[in-house]
Amino acid sequence: MSALNWVTLGVLGLLGAGLYGLLITRNLIKVVIALQILVKGALLALVAAGQASGQINLGQSLAVTVIVADTVVAVVGLALAVQVKRLVGTLDVKALSNLRG
Amino acid sequence: MADVLIIMTMGLPWLGALAVWLTGDRRPQVQHRLAVGFALAAALAALLLIGSTSSAVELRIAVGGAFGDFTFVPDGLGVFLAAVATVVGGLAVIFSVDYMHGEAQLGRYYTLVLLFIGAMAGLALSGSLLLLFIFWEITALCSYALISFYNDDPKAVAGGIKALIITQVGGVGMLAGALVAYVYLGDYQISTLLSRHQELPSGVLAVLAFGFLAAAAAKSAQVPFHTWLPGAMEAPTPVSALIHAATMVNAGVYLLARFYPVFEGVSGWTTAVVVVGVVSALLAALMALFATDLKAALAYSTISQLGYMVYAVGVGAVFASQFHLLSHAVFKALLFLSAGAVIHAVGTRDMRQMGGLGRQMPFNRAVFIVGALALAGLPVLNGFWSKELILEHGLHDGPAWAYGGMLAGAGLTALYTFRMVWLVFFGKSRRRDHVHDAGLMMRVATGALAVGTATTWLLVGAFGDLLEDSLPFHSLHVEPAGALLEEIVTAPATLVALLVVALGLLAWWFRDRLAWIGEAVPQVGQAAAADFGFNWLNRQIVDGTARTAEALRTTQTGYLNWNVLGIVAGFVVVLVVLAVG
Amino acid sequence: MIDAVLVAGTVLCAVRAIRATQLLSSALWLAGVSALVSILLYRLGAHQIAVIELSVGAGLVTVLFVFAISIAGDDGLTEREFLPNWLALGLIALFAGLLGWMILPLEETGVAAAEATFESVLWSDRALDVLVQIVLIFSGVLCLVTLLKERHTSAQRQALAGKEERERPSAAASGNGHRPGAAVVDPAPAEVEEIHA
Repeated sequence: MSALNWVTLGVLGLLGAGLYGLLITRNLIKVVIALQILVKGALLALVAAGQASGQINLGQSLAVTVIVADTVVAVVGLALAVQVKRLVGTLDVKALSNLRG
Repeated sequence: MADVLIIMTMGLPWLGALAVWLTGDRRPQVQHRLAVGFALAAALAALLLIGSTSSAVELRIAVGGAFGDFTFVPDGLGVFLAAVATVVGGLAVIFSVDYMHGEAQLGRYYTLVLLFIGAMAGLALSGSLLLLFIFWEITALCSYALISFYNDDPKAVAGGIKALIITQVGGVGMLAGALVAYVYLGDYQISTLLSRHQELPSGVLAVLAFGFLAAAAAKSAQVPFHTWLPGAMEAPTPVSALIHAATMVNAGVYLLARFYPVFEGVSGWTTAVVVVGVVSALLAALMALFATDLKAALAYSTISQLGYMVYAVGVGAVFASQFHLLSHAVFKALLFLSAGAVIHAVGTRDMRQMGGLGRQMPFNRAVFIVGALALAGLPVLNGFWSKELILEHGLHDGPAWAYGGMLAGAGLTALYTFRMVWLVFFGKSRRRDHVHDAGLMMRVATGALAVGTATTWLLVGAFGDLLEDSLPFHSLHVEPAGALLEEIVTAPATLVALLVVALGLLAWWFRDRLAWIGEAVPQVGQAAAADFGFNWLNRQIVDGTARTAEALRTTQTGYLNWNVLGIVAGFVVVLVVLAVG
Repeated sequence: MIDAVLVAGTVLCAVRAIRATQLLSSALWLAGVSALVSILLYRLGAHQIAVIELSVGAGLVTVLFVFAISIAGDDGLTEREFLPNWLALGLIALFAGLLGWMILPLEETGVAAAEATFESVLWSDRALDVLVQIVLIFSGVLCLVTLLKERHTSAQRQALAGKEERERPSAAASGNGHRPGAAVVDPAPAEVEEIHA
């Protein structure tokens, strides 16, 4: 099995782990962690796809955008979590259903 | 030079929007001055840009191979529309200094108005389909936000949402067209589409043509999408004058004129355009005749006049349509602004509660009558020349039934215009309290537009050269000014049209004796007041959208895990479909 | 072979990060994922991205996590979860299995030689992306400024205003605005709040 296929398996593992975390966790900071893992999978997938199609630099360019977006998500998500803790008193996402339909 | 002017035309209003927003609502005087200053500077830049009109790309922003460059082309059509947008925008902002005096949240108002002016200039000048779509949507957004400016009034909010949803329906047509063009041509440039449209399969070209027609009809409030425009009259009046009479609603006509060379060969397209124009012109004129709300009457008359322009594009008279667009932008902005002065003074929009206001507002009466005569198409004012030009082209190049319809529309236009003037300014006064005339800033704006109404037709020659020289794909042949004007004056079509206008006038004069017609067929009046059922149709669409959204609300439990479950389940379904298919 | 070990390590770290009961150890496992991913990226030939991922993903973001956890504290949250564990695991297995069945094995199709350099691809071909990134960073900073400034709930604010009223009767009497104390001490947050509101 080539290196590329091992990496593809890794992508599947990371995506699965991230989605699993999002499905079961209720802690807001844990949600951000799960999102990070999910995005690492996407990052790896982009570069692997670039490698497979012979356009590694295009893959890298797209990956830069992913990293920037991912970092901004982490920063804003953590700031939100800190504010939620301060205003609501808990990190539980179930406590945040004021806007339910 | 041209690139700097292009950047200034679009950038100055946006910079002004930022400046007004940052000033904050605690300093209204500064906000007024900043808004007027930036709007007038943009208007100046746009007027200077007319001097460097060309068909070449003057400003190119490279955004990479994946999207194609963002280009700006100051050709005749674009420069002219940008100039109209910024000049009328500047006058509307000047008018707002009086009209919005003492209103709360001036910052939001001026920011949105300036954002709109910049986006409209960008829409006119952009040379890339993708960019055109982006600006198209920004203008729709500003229009929505300004219609709902008084956001504690449920009618204003409903009108804004209606306008937003209907123009979005059209916007989807445009996006579909742009994407299809990209798929087949590999490029978003408008010039590529204009020069290489023969390479598209005919079915694809038809999708493009009718997608753009839907977008244009929704934006220009043409049948069957026209019902959002009367609802948009909840906006502050300067906004109605700027967005819903002089500029944004013209974007649809602009789109049709811009891509006319591509679509004229599509079978059935020109006929469809003519039908849309004639039906809009006639129905809206009838509705204007029965409207009791002053601004609604003006809105219907806008739909009707836009119908004339669409009709002109349909019969191939691109120059005539653009010339009427210029005339209409000037005189309709004038009518709206002076109507705004009346509404500001009286405090109601119901024409049945006005009357005899002429004695108390002599200046306003004078400028309103100038605008009304231009709308009715009486000689020497700009509306006369452009409407006669359209009708003459219609007689030569269009089907006879369409010409007959447009002629009847001209008569109806005269009739409802005189009714409007009479109800507001003449007749018996229905009010006791004293009404003050328009303020200084209002006079400046309406006075300038009245002078424009009386004179813009003199530009016909220069305007023709401008379009002829810079539009290589339209193959326009505009005659010199003298010959053109002489032709209009001597053509028999003009005489016929004037007779019809006179008939309309007579019909108003002898309205008491003609009252039996209205009594004999009361259904016409009722149907017109009910918008011929189109309002019902459009409300079904808007309500349907709202109801679906309301029903979907129950799926939102507020739990994150639930949402993620939905995402994962959807993903699995997509994968299964892909695996099976 | 070394790729297989690295991949296994990455996935193991990811699973531990999700299953860890303490937030702090979870964040540290995440840093491990990030570091291993950057090694994998390097081995795939994405040299520049690997460095960025190592410094930003494994470094900066981990510091942020530790910082946020130390402020917000650890809630534990050991209550029953929304979904039964077996259902979540089954769904994920279905998802990953289907996806893997469709894309594996991956074949190399292209020729690597003809491609432009990373810099030229990023700065000229994907220029719009760079523009979007700048906007993204800018809006992220705006979000942070509004989120992290000292904001009080309305009840707290009233209590605070009342306290200031008592402490500074002279300033209130001179009509120094509706929030006398705040205007004197620190005008900046009030202005930011205005924009936000």
